[in-house]
Amino acid sequence: MAGQGTCYDDPNTDVKKRESVYHQVKELLDKGETVAVATIVSTKGSTPREVGAKMVVTAWGEILGTIGGGCGEADVKREAIEVIRTRKPRMVRIDLTDDISSDSPAVCGGIMNVFIDPWWKERDEEAANAS
Amino acid sequence: MSSLTSELIRISEENAAAVLATVIEVEGDGRVAPGAKCLVRDGRVVAETIGEPGIVRSIVAEADVHLRAEKSKLVELAVPETAGRLHVFFEVMPAPPKLVVVGAGHIALPLVRMAKILDFYVIVIDDRLLYANRERFPDADEVLVGDMARMLKEMTITPSTYIVLITRGHKYDEPCLREIIHSPARYIGMIGSRRRIKACFQRFRDEEKIAEEVIQRVYAPIGLDIGTETPAEIALSILAEIVKVRRGGSAASLSGR
Repeated sequence: MAGQGTCYDDPNTDVKKRESVYHQVKELLDKGETVAVATIVSTKGSTPREVGAKMVVTAWGEILGTIGGGCGEADVKREAIEVIRTRKPRMVRIDLTDDISSDSPAVCGGIMNVFIDPWWKERDEEAANAS
Repeated sequence: MSSLTSELIRISEENAAAVLATVIEVEGDGRVAPGAKCLVRDGRVVAETIGEPGIVRSIVAEADVHLRAEKSKLVELAVPETAGRLHVFFEVMPAPPKLVVVGAGHIALPLVRMAKILDFYVIVIDDRLLYANRERFPDADEVLVGDMARMLKEMTITPSTYIVLITRGHKYDEPCLREIIHSPARYIGMIGSRRRIKACFQRFRDEEKIAEEVIQRVYAPIGLDIGTETPAEIALSILAEIVKVRRGGSAASLSGR
């Protein structure tokens, strides 16, 4: 008979694990790829996604995650390919308030600043060695 | 071999909280380059590429502020001993919120399923094995059977814990509430009629001498007023209230009608 505080979790399974975007990033880095991690670091006005939203772009132009779609995302993708090529981070300002993008599928107006950062295996390992 | 990504993966798998600080922009003698990073977990640096102890120290202190607020933020920091300034993005990775559902009855079923969709770590507790079991709650992270009040007393409750008291009766809800009313839980909600709740609170004031501001923390009757009729609608109303408490909404229609 079950006693006090009996847990009905299967003892053979681990505690349920959270999946994160970094699982996929690590997989790509381990294959020797350089990827660009784009993060919305600040916004002004009404933007499709909030500060902290992330999108990973591979050298082949594949995308994981979203920073809101529309032409802003296309701009970030284009810049990300450059970041991967040069391995130098850059900041991109996406203005969704101008006339051109108001005709595009971007859902909201507003301005977002997106930091695009290159990640590759050696740089990833340097972080752990330094601590 | 360890790396920044392997530390980030470990943090997410262990359901831990952490902050990843990234230098975005450097003004003047900043001593670091954009892209330099520092990963802080439990107030300790677990990986970094900054290499300047003074800067790392101010980042660790700042990281704590943003983790408490559970909000990622771009911050300007002065570089110690120089005229330089850094723009640092603090990416906050809070531990997932924990929902404790006390009482495994008919409202608990939709409540647990919806809470999993909302990414809560969900614990169901009841004293009846017939109700609290894996077959009824395949989505729950933990299903516990035992004396409910005693299990709550022994549970680790943090400011990211949300507790819902929906047992089969008032004589179970009340002793459970007594065990958690002084806890740091972010949300405590108790089901019941206004009349029974009023009587319960009066006993808490008279017999337990529990302070009024402590009693006022309890959401009872539980949930937002959306005119619920079914158990699933009640579950939705409870979770809507929890999200409101967590994120700070007004719970009014956005259309303003």
